[in-house]
Amino acid sequence: MTSGTAVADVHPQNPAPPRRRRRERGREATLAWAFLAPSVAVFALFLAYPLGRTVYLSMHGNDIIGRPNRFVGLSHFAEMATPEFGGVLLTTLLFTLGVVVPGVVGALVVVLLLEGVIRGQRLLRGAFALPFAFSVASASVIFSVFYSPGNSVLNGILYRFGLDQVPWLTSQEMALWSVCITTVWMNLGYGVLVLAAGIGSIPKEVNEAARIDGATGVRLAWDVTVPMLGPQLFFLIVISTINALQSFGQIHILTGGGPVGSTTTLVYSIYQYAFAYGTSDFGRASAQALVLLVVVLVCTAIQFGVLERKVHYA
Amino acid sequence: MTISPQRRGITAAALLVSLGLVLSGCSGDGSGGTGDLVAPGPEVLEDLDEAVQVEFWHSMDATNGQVLDGLIEEFNAQNEGRIEVTGAFQGDYDEALAGHRAAIQQGETAELIMIYDLGTQFMIDSGQTVPAQSFLDKDGYDTGAIEDALLNYFTVEGDLRSFPFNNSTPLMYINRDAFEEAGLDPDAPPTDLAEIREAAERLTVRDDDGTVVQYGFGAAVYGWFIEQFMARAGTPYCDNSNGRDGRATEVLFDDPKIVELVEWWEEMIDDELAVQIGRNTDDGQAAFTSGRAAMTLESTGSLGGFIEQSDFEVGAGYFPLISADDPGGSIIGGASLWINGEGHTEEEIRASWEFVQFLLTPESQSVWHAGTGYLSVNTEGYEGPEAKERAEEFPQFSVAAAQLADSEINENTAGCMMGVMSEARVAAEEGWETALTSDTSAEEAMSAATERVRTPIEEYNASVED
Repeated sequence: MTSGTAVADVHPQNPAPPRRRRRERGREATLAWAFLAPSVAVFALFLAYPLGRTVYLSMHGNDIIGRPNRFVGLSHFAEMATPEFGGVLLTTLLFTLGVVVPGVVGALVVVLLLEGVIRGQRLLRGAFALPFAFSVASASVIFSVFYSPGNSVLNGILYRFGLDQVPWLTSQEMALWSVCITTVWMNLGYGVLVLAAGIGSIPKEVNEAARIDGATGVRLAWDVTVPMLGPQLFFLIVISTINALQSFGQIHILTGGGPVGSTTTLVYSIYQYAFAYGTSDFGRASAQALVLLVVVLVCTAIQFGVLERKVHYA
Repeated sequence: MTISPQRRGITAAALLVSLGLVLSGCSGDGSGGTGDLVAPGPEVLEDLDEAVQVEFWHSMDATNGQVLDGLIEEFNAQNEGRIEVTGAFQGDYDEALAGHRAAIQQGETAELIMIYDLGTQFMIDSGQTVPAQSFLDKDGYDTGAIEDALLNYFTVEGDLRSFPFNNSTPLMYINRDAFEEAGLDPDAPPTDLAEIREAAERLTVRDDDGTVVQYGFGAAVYGWFIEQFMARAGTPYCDNSNGRDGRATEVLFDDPKIVELVEWWEEMIDDELAVQIGRNTDDGQAAFTSGRAAMTLESTGSLGGFIEQSDFEVGAGYFPLISADDPGGSIIGGASLWINGEGHTEEEIRASWEFVQFLLTPESQSVWHAGTGYLSVNTEGYEGPEAKERAEEFPQFSVAAAQLADSEINENTAGCMMGVMSEARVAAEEGWETALTSDTSAEEAMSAATERVRTPIEEYNASVED
């Protein structure tokens, strides 16, 4: 559209320098749009259209086939002001914290400890990065055996040590943490990969200078290595937050959102409204999907606003 | 796929007809126009130029899928040049239903589709299928041999709506070895809750520290069991006579009988006589086959797997009663077959029916029952060679058929017919689980659960009655 108006202006009566410049600029803009066209088309098709459709669906009720058949305005959003939906948001928050904090700290600790290991460091790094190779489904199935209420592998181990049995998936208090543990384990590999790459790129001179100044062990790690890992840590925090907010497979396989909704995060709630029990309430599901979009945007914006200022880009 | 000119003409005619149906549907026919789709006679399959293609969407994989594929192959061989059925696995029941919804939206439904029991009312309301009764009437087909309990479930307002095919009923399973060790008679498994508790007290084994190593009982918090318990107690699951005298407007699983059941279950767990399982039936099965729980509740369809996976002798008994004086009775679960009419030619509709008739023969049912553990929909199927061989090897296989034969046919054993049955089942499970995992009383939890289904029922009813 912009290109159209620019191209129209091609036969100036008095070719003055500024006009020529404008004409050239117009031609450049045309070219730019031509180059952008494929990505704009893809963007429109796979992002803008679905987003627009979600907004449309969120304001409509459905017939039993799932077709939008009546305009309901913002009532799906108004309906969210319930303790149940507040519970879903709280669960989402707890799950995100329970995944991101131990996940990032865990990966950092592993990488820092491995720094001290000279022999077999690569092998150990590889071993710690291995969970990255597991699909969500296979990791979840393995953990469901560990947690299985009747004959949990973990409870078997606790029993050998004479410890109390843990109701991994059958208690409302415990189930969310069990899902978090699984997710942290799955994410650890990726975190180790990212941070190990970051540590490899810290210039040797920095560490040497710190050593000459007398920094060793924890001090060297905390005051030199960690700040130098700033960009990688920041990246990891942003990515794992978004991943946590979008987690689905492990919840679906391990708990199905239960017991009594105690592991129903926002994504799982969307799934339940749209598909889970032969339902097709795409209206309410879409409204919640928009809430999820806002939550992800706000989290990412806060992280960029607050955290990124503290990141030191070497 | 190429379409011959002749076929194109038929397609166009079918489109016109279906357009007419859509229009008449829009003009305010409350039933959604389902009555307009009628079964064509056998004459439509005469003088065919090429075999009629029937796509069959189902949810049978692994062993069950192989047995089904075998039956499809046999039918195709018998009908070469006339009818060709292609089976297509569509994921589990919920996924298949979601896929079918999408297909309706796009006007591309399969000729024949398997839909689980809970989707029955939805299938009727969506008005896409030719009612099963229409085929029976057209051909004068005799349903005398078909299992009464199944006809009872799938008959709505006097008409059979779909064809039962892969159906089951839940049973109580016991670890016979554990029964003998505890000095109990494995040939007389407990029949009601009080007896289960008595047996569990003797079956529960503790180590020196007092930690339980074998529980007496353990089963999943599975909504189907509540439906079964209510049928056996002779109480309806939803109002308007289980939704069969008119649309159901509320669910009734806050009945004192169910409160009693949930309280019993809670005490069993608190007293460490039962292991807490949660909602996943796989976990319930694992607790039983590994010997952790000496008694469990599961579908007939699990019997084969139990025998295979357990290193003890598996026994089966009737599904328990809540109290000894309950009338008994039994409802069914599983899925039935629906023939799509909307958007399909008469040839395709008739060809689908021919295939369904083949599946309902005693010969096919004998193979099906023996291979999968599902009920033989045609009771004569139990006399088939495959079924007989299976029954001789594992007499437990005949318990399910006996339980159904003992069941009285009435509206309570017919089960609830309701558009949001799946959501009701989940709500029942959540109420039950709330009582088990929190301080909320069974009565409060179950009545809150029935309230949760109120809005979905209202919205569903409003959307189909507009």
